[in-house]
Amino acid sequence: MAKAKDALLDPLFNNNPIALQILGICSALAVTNKMSTALTMTVAVVLVTACSNAAISAIRNHIPNSIRIIVQMTIIATLVIIIDQMLKAYLYEMSKALSVYVGLIITNCIVMGRAEAYAMKNPVGLSLLDGIGNGLGYGIVLLAVGFVRELFGSGKLFGVTILNTVNDGGWYVTNGLMLLAPSAFFLIGFIIWGLRTWKPELQE
Amino acid sequence: MSNDSIFKTFLVAFLLCVVCSILVCLAAIVRIDKEAYNKQLEIRKTVLAAGGYQQQIDDGGNIDELFTSNMELKLVDLSAGDFTTAVDAATYDQKEAVDKPELSEAIPADLDLAGIGTRAKYAAVYLDKSGSVILPIRGAGMWGPMYGYIAIAEDGTTIKGFTFYQHAETPGLGAEVDNPNWKKQWPNKQVFNSSGKLALKVVKKGKYNPKAGDAINTIDGIAGSTVTGNKVHGIIRYWFGEHGYAPFLAKLKAERG
Repeated sequence: MAKAKDALLDPLFNNNPIALQILGICSALAVTNKMSTALTMTVAVVLVTACSNAAISAIRNHIPNSIRIIVQMTIIATLVIIIDQMLKAYLYEMSKALSVYVGLIITNCIVMGRAEAYAMKNPVGLSLLDGIGNGLGYGIVLLAVGFVRELFGSGKLFGVTILNTVNDGGWYVTNGLMLLAPSAFFLIGFIIWGLRTWKPELQE
Repeated sequence: MSNDSIFKTFLVAFLLCVVCSILVCLAAIVRIDKEAYNKQLEIRKTVLAAGGYQQQIDDGGNIDELFTSNMELKLVDLSAGDFTTAVDAATYDQKEAVDKPELSEAIPADLDLAGIGTRAKYAAVYLDKSGSVILPIRGAGMWGPMYGYIAIAEDGTTIKGFTFYQHAETPGLGAEVDNPNWKKQWPNKQVFNSSGKLALKVVKKGKYNPKAGDAINTIDGIAGSTVTGNKVHGIIRYWFGEHGYAPFLAKLKAERG
């Protein structure tokens, strides 16, 4: 039981893929200027890491060592394509906002990293939890960055006005930097700083 | 059987490929069905919004119903300025036509204010019951192409509405072209001045003077988005120029206005 809890909860803070392993930064910069895109991306990544971990773990005893990376890649790519197609079919507006970044989950190091480092050695149940945990660990950072960027960049959260902006006749002058990708770098930097101050054992 | 035997390696690879391709095919079948409808719905929504039906859409009106009862698709031969039936309007795709030599023509570099290189010979315009026409426009934006519609009343010069449905402008800055507060200054502006010359322009934010004589032809830009403003300016200058809709609008005005 303790092992299952660790598999699920460790990646949230103690071994966060973005803040500790510094993986998946590219999409964390690209899709965090709005909460809605960050949330959709989070759900997509959780689904992909969970399903790919479970699927790879289920057939781990039958994967020939010489082609194991390409087998993992094929499974991940299939899952990503399915999610991309479903977004295009049922959440058309959202698929336009996420554009290429859903497809790029294939190259997201978190998914591949967990498949190779965890799913190849552990049973299906634990691998599934590890996948969900790592997806959520990624998602927490995405949502935190998205929260700050959308609130201070557009005065909104999930598209709902919180701070009435000057462009809409209100008082809040939006922070243009928050809308541009580099601001996510600063915010992730602050998150890493905060996390390592809170848990000094994470410092290298 | 050893996992690393050649036979097992091929077997695993083959089975994996079969399973994965079936899954991908199923997903694609679902998507193709829905996506065509989604794209059509998006175009219809934009055309209605440009044509002045935004209120009805916001009130929860059925887009397909509003569209079919008010809009009629027609093709316009841009160089002649006349309606044409040279190709079937129902199956004509203006975006694809741009890439087909027989359906497109190059834009002379000095006229290419929208930065698009070529344009389709025929434009798929919509006639609204009220008499206005809704014209497709496009051009290069700051980060990617911009596609939209602009509605002109039957006098051939008064703007009824304007909206983009696809662009890649910076969120919060250039993407404010989608802000209803910015779009609401477009209706009732005049494309041409009293002597019939193209006069519509987008100026830098703050340079707009509501008391100036040409205020009726001037759109105030967006704060912090001078580039997007200039691009939109280029797009309207091209599309209402002699190479764009000017011949068509002149004939429309002569016939109905």
